[in-house]
Amino acid sequence: MFQKLIEESTGKSPWLFHINAGSCNGCDIELVSVLTPRYDAERLGFKLAGSPRHADIVVVTGPITAQSLPRVLRSIEQVPEPRCIVTMGSCPQSGNVFRGSYSICGPLSKYVHVDVDVAGCTPKPEAVIDGLALAARILQEKRRAKK
Amino acid sequence: MDFPFVKEAISQLFSKPSCAMYPAVESVAAPRYRGRIAFDPTKCINCMMCERVCCGGAITHTVEKTEEGDRITRSFNLGCCTFCAHCMDFCNHGAIELTQDYHMIATKEEDLIVSGTFLKKPPVKKPVPPKAPAAPAAPKETKAEPGASGSDLERQKGEADVKSSPKAETERSAPVLPRDDGKPVQDPAKCIYCTICARKCPAGALTVDRAAKTWALDEDACVACGTCASVCPKKAILM
Repeated sequence: MFQKLIEESTGKSPWLFHINAGSCNGCDIELVSVLTPRYDAERLGFKLAGSPRHADIVVVTGPITAQSLPRVLRSIEQVPEPRCIVTMGSCPQSGNVFRGSYSICGPLSKYVHVDVDVAGCTPKPEAVIDGLALAARILQEKRRAKK
Repeated sequence: MDFPFVKEAISQLFSKPSCAMYPAVESVAAPRYRGRIAFDPTKCINCMMCERVCCGGAITHTVEKTEEGDRITRSFNLGCCTFCAHCMDFCNHGAIELTQDYHMIATKEEDLIVSGTFLKKPPVKKPVPPKAPAAPAAPKETKAEPGASGSDLERQKGEADVKSSPKAETERSAPVLPRDDGKPVQDPAKCIYCTICARKCPAGALTVDRAAKTWALDEDACVACGTCASVCPKKAILM
């Protein structure tokens, strides 16, 4: 019975961990705006966690620079399974205008399995909410599959 | 005992939330919001201007040779796009449009690719007007029998063109008329041979020599996009 209660409550409030992998700050601002009272993602259960060990969903912004790559991978490894990785904006998916640079190691899908891509440069906060809702659904499916 | 905020607290209990109720209430993007790309392959003439101006390198094309002509598939990778709308601004035929749709969520990379396919027919070769008396024997033999009378007519027309064209060059006052096939024609009276059209031509079909004052068009390379006419500072190119 307790197990069911935990499953219900964790499924409905996934915690986010945000990694900036060399982003221009545009996507970071939009992600923060999703959590502000205007869009208020907390009413849907999304909450920003301070530590990767507390998180369920990892949101990555930026084109994965050479400096940030080991830190990004280390942070993602610390997130307990089942986890869901969301890329936000065009940069982590392809490198965008920075691709081909000597200091860019992206795309992120080369290193880890990416569950949801939110396209846009930057995505609208509504699109981010859509992406997070999809990520929460994928997370719940992963939890059920694990059992 | 005084509770100054009781009235406010109770009124807030029954008021609507101040946040945007997004998933429940659909939100419409601003009128000129640049979102998902809509590509109309029927309007595209394959001038490649969009691929040249794309800073994200999101636009690519593949060419498949068929008997009818080249089957060209142009694809836009939204996962690589900065949504700057340069492609839309530079498209002379309005084939690209950035819509207000911002729901660009994907679980696979293929979901973020917008593409369209169209057929580009090879340029129709006009019968070459005979210049030397020995030349006309060869094309006559290769021509199909039923179309012989038509092609003869065309050849006569071609001869007429050849006769009239040196006249037009000598008489500067004669008006320059736009061509039927949509390709550019130069007005020598207005042209200052600045070479801007040759530099802007996406197909590299124009050759302009400033010193020799010549303007030449490679008709097979020209895609009739109209870029040369729009950039000409003297409006010397007619389309």
